[in-house]
Amino acid sequence: MLLLPKFDYEEPKSLPEALAMLSELKGNGKVIAGGTDLLVNMKKGTVRPACLVSLKKVEALREISGEDGGLSVGSHVTISEIADSDRVASTFPVLARSASCLGSPLIRNRATIGGNIVTARPAADLPPALLVLGARVELRGKDKDRTVSLDGFFTGPGTSVIETREVLTRIVIPSPPPFTGADYIKLGHRAALEIAIVAVSSRLTLDKPDGVIVDARVILSSVAPTAIHAVSAEKALMGQRPSEDLFAKAALLAVGDSSPITDIRGGAEYRRDMVNTLVKRTLLKAFNDARDMKGGNA
Amino acid sequence: MKAYNVINTRLPRVDARAKATGDARYTADLSMPNMLYGAMLQSPLAHAKILNIDVTAAKKLPGVRDVVTWKEAGLVKYGVSPARYDEQVFCSDKVRYVGDEIAAVAAVDLETAMEAVSLIKVDYEELPVLLDIESAMAEGAIAIHEDFPGNVSAEVHQEFGNFEEALKECDIVRTDRFTNKRQDGGFLEPQACLAQYDLNGNLTLWSSTQSVHYVQRSIAMVLGLPVGKVRVVKPYVGGGFGPKAAVNAMEIAACLMSKRTGRPVKMLFSREQVFLHSRARHQFFHEFTTGVKKDGTIMALHNTCYLDGGAYSSFGIATIYYAGSLLGAPYRLPNMKYDGYRIYTNKPTCGAQRGHGGVAARAGWEQQLDTIAAELNMDPVEFRLKNMMKTGDVTCNDFNMSSLGMQECLEGVRDGSNWAAKKGKLPRGKGIGVACGFFVSGAGYPIYRSETFHSTATIRLTEDGGGVNLYTASAEIGQGSDTILGQIAAEALGVSLDDVMVHSGDTDFGVDLGAYSSRQTLMSGHAVKMAAEDTKRQVLEALSEQLGVTVGDMDIAGGVVIFKKGKPDFSRLRTLYIKEHRGWEDQPSGAELTFREAARVAFITRGVIIGNGAYKPGELGGKYKGAAVGTSPAYGCSAQVVEVTVDEQTGKVTIDAMTDAHDCGFAINRTNVEGQMQGSLSMGLGEALFEEVRFDAKGRVANASLGEYRIPTALDMPNVKTVIIESDEPNGPFGAKEVGEGAIMPTIPAILNAIYDAVGVRINELPVTSERLFAAMKEKQKK
Repeated sequence: MLLLPKFDYEEPKSLPEALAMLSELKGNGKVIAGGTDLLVNMKKGTVRPACLVSLKKVEALREISGEDGGLSVGSHVTISEIADSDRVASTFPVLARSASCLGSPLIRNRATIGGNIVTARPAADLPPALLVLGARVELRGKDKDRTVSLDGFFTGPGTSVIETREVLTRIVIPSPPPFTGADYIKLGHRAALEIAIVAVSSRLTLDKPDGVIVDARVILSSVAPTAIHAVSAEKALMGQRPSEDLFAKAALLAVGDSSPITDIRGGAEYRRDMVNTLVKRTLLKAFNDARDMKGGNA
Repeated sequence: MKAYNVINTRLPRVDARAKATGDARYTADLSMPNMLYGAMLQSPLAHAKILNIDVTAAKKLPGVRDVVTWKEAGLVKYGVSPARYDEQVFCSDKVRYVGDEIAAVAAVDLETAMEAVSLIKVDYEELPVLLDIESAMAEGAIAIHEDFPGNVSAEVHQEFGNFEEALKECDIVRTDRFTNKRQDGGFLEPQACLAQYDLNGNLTLWSSTQSVHYVQRSIAMVLGLPVGKVRVVKPYVGGGFGPKAAVNAMEIAACLMSKRTGRPVKMLFSREQVFLHSRARHQFFHEFTTGVKKDGTIMALHNTCYLDGGAYSSFGIATIYYAGSLLGAPYRLPNMKYDGYRIYTNKPTCGAQRGHGGVAARAGWEQQLDTIAAELNMDPVEFRLKNMMKTGDVTCNDFNMSSLGMQECLEGVRDGSNWAAKKGKLPRGKGIGVACGFFVSGAGYPIYRSETFHSTATIRLTEDGGGVNLYTASAEIGQGSDTILGQIAAEALGVSLDDVMVHSGDTDFGVDLGAYSSRQTLMSGHAVKMAAEDTKRQVLEALSEQLGVTVGDMDIAGGVVIFKKGKPDFSRLRTLYIKEHRGWEDQPSGAELTFREAARVAFITRGVIIGNGAYKPGELGGKYKGAAVGTSPAYGCSAQVVEVTVDEQTGKVTIDAMTDAHDCGFAINRTNVEGQMQGSLSMGLGEALFEEVRFDAKGRVANASLGEYRIPTALDMPNVKTVIIESDEPNGPFGAKEVGEGAIMPTIPAILNAIYDAVGVRINELPVTSERLFAAMKEKQKK
């Protein structure tokens, strides 16, 4: 049997209280949100926090709100709340789509957006979409607060710039430029309970509906230690007129940008082929959406 | 067809309320005062000599009450088939797979027991690890079991008719290969048990098992106790599918430690331990050479099979026979040759799983038959119909198809799926495929050689006549046997299902070989029907004495006594009953004499009314070696049509629709029959597309969790159209036969044939992951 080790459990009622607590615990405390990853790892014995600090009573962390055409999502908002949110669906449908790909309906009811980011799993579902959307995360500490771009957040599998005494409090997504479209596709084996074999998120911004690409973002997931930008693909797309040929060229460049390994979920060669397929598909969908948009949405 | 009151209906399951509300208690829910918790030490190495086992530190740990190794458990060999008793409770000389049991600890709580296990020190001398058939059969390979040089655990050679001669008449001869992957049972409830040895030397074991009888015998034999002193009880069980059909070392260890400490001992498998214990589907490597005439007549088959058996035999001796014999039907096949080899390897032991031994064989052969149909330019349905057996046919290996609605099944799925409008007419990427299959309706012989009854049943009426208690040692493991047997008892006795209380899964209730080989409905059903008829006879005899009506002129149906030749005056009996129940509000009334009144009269005049039934199959066919595996009183059969979409840029297969027809002889409970059909399809879909137990280079299971071992989720199941065919089996109770396993047979090949129809690629290795199919399509494009 896998038994949960003994630990203390705290439920602070406010953020300052939580931050003071974490500061006092000096690295022996860990924030628990949905616990879908943390409790499993504690059972396996890979993490052994002396104290879990739950943020479920901190109401401010559970809000989704609009902000200058963008979006602010509290870190304790659950994945199913994001997947089902009308506000998310109407402003950033790619985020809702990626949320609906995570785990299973039951896991989505518990897991949170903050948890999906700070665990820094290479195959996490939300980061690719958040990266193409240019999301920033707010990190609060007892004495200092900072906001960092998600692009600079992940440092490796399971690691990020967040410090043990910090709490990720909210995710801020800036208002998108006009004529922008995005997509996220996750390839797994089953219809649920899957960790991606490969996942890709892309976003394109056009200068006008039949114009050229003025911004291109292509994020590859599960093919490198963290979700990465397909830098050469993005570069090749910039300033160009969208076409299936262009997307095919970008997809091949993205394959070169990836560095997949062979593991229990799939082989490196297959993953490279799937980067090719999924980059093409996400770009095509992003382009179609961008062209059809009157502007403003992604 | 005869009209029935209780059977052939859609009555809710008798355990529906308990399971829906969470009231049902499974073994892990049980607890007793003073109970100890047990944990086991299992080998971290796949193959090694044991030089020394030091339990000193474990014994010293506060809270530890017992530590046992082979020294305490003894060296008695046990297993499933007496011909291959090759297991011990604990390893003494060497370990043969990662997970082989070495010691067990009982302590005041689980944490302490697990800590004590970690304190046991074992010195090993590592031996070469043989993880596949090639290395195990290589010249000079070390013997995993000393008595089996060459690591061949079993070998079978059979020939019915004359294969070589028959080939001379054939216009098409094809050879194809096929392999599946080792499966895990994937049941939701891991094995669990609670043992209690009392002050009078009586041992009771509560366990999550498919067969209280086999577990009882094994424990009595290994621990040297009389069978009568060992009682095995099965609480609610959350699935078995084969791996729980025999005793496991944990059960014996718990009994041993309870006997030694005098305290109840509870033990549980983790999910990882379920994978290590395994006893699930083997990996089979088949090669089929099939000969067919140009008019489409199937003439001959030579099937060669290598089975990767793992470290011990378990059910493997039966598995190797089934891998050959289960191709004998449902097509007329006059010449069949089979060569089977089961090989020991240093991996967890394989055993029985739904469709025992026949699933991979069926998948590979039905795919080959599809290829042959294409070569003949024949529609796959027509090709199958042309070769189909009918009721009364006997296979070349002497299986008597005493009822066989195979043609009806095939026509049912052809019409139900709108085959004619789709086959050959779907756009690229969409495909439709068909396959057939059959399975035994209960193993014809027990796993140990014996003249024993396979099932007994007892019915005891309550003294007020209000209740019918049915006692059977059969195993409700989620498949619905309690409901089916309750319905059979109610119908045969003439009462409603609500009147019947089903007491099952307890060796105190009789002998029943358990829930395996799809035997509960037919075999236990026969015993229950006999017990109910015996009970009814006694009630009617008592009534006859009182009313002067001959027994033959009476019957019981719908809860009342039927008087075939006019109703006698029974007012005296009614008055008697009413007087006895002064103050009651539900007194019998109306024009009919109720069962309650009749049963009360029987009690008053005769004492407790007890009806008995006992069943074993009659004479079965087959006098050749191995005929005991596959012969059965009846055979169920089925056909399926599957429709798929293949994403050609990713290789991903989506099952769009399934149409399934199964001949269950007669549906005792129509909803339950459909449930078994759907469950079989789900398991077949998983084996076809997702499931594979994987190992690292040291023989450790690499995906021992339900996160990385993928059984289908509810979202992966398509809508299923089910068609029930009822061929009225003469050897079954009320004409009923199996549905629990046969329904899985066509699933995998129907999927494979649909994939071929969609993209023109034949896959001969499971699972058909998107990666495997993508690679195959890429390979084809290169050519």
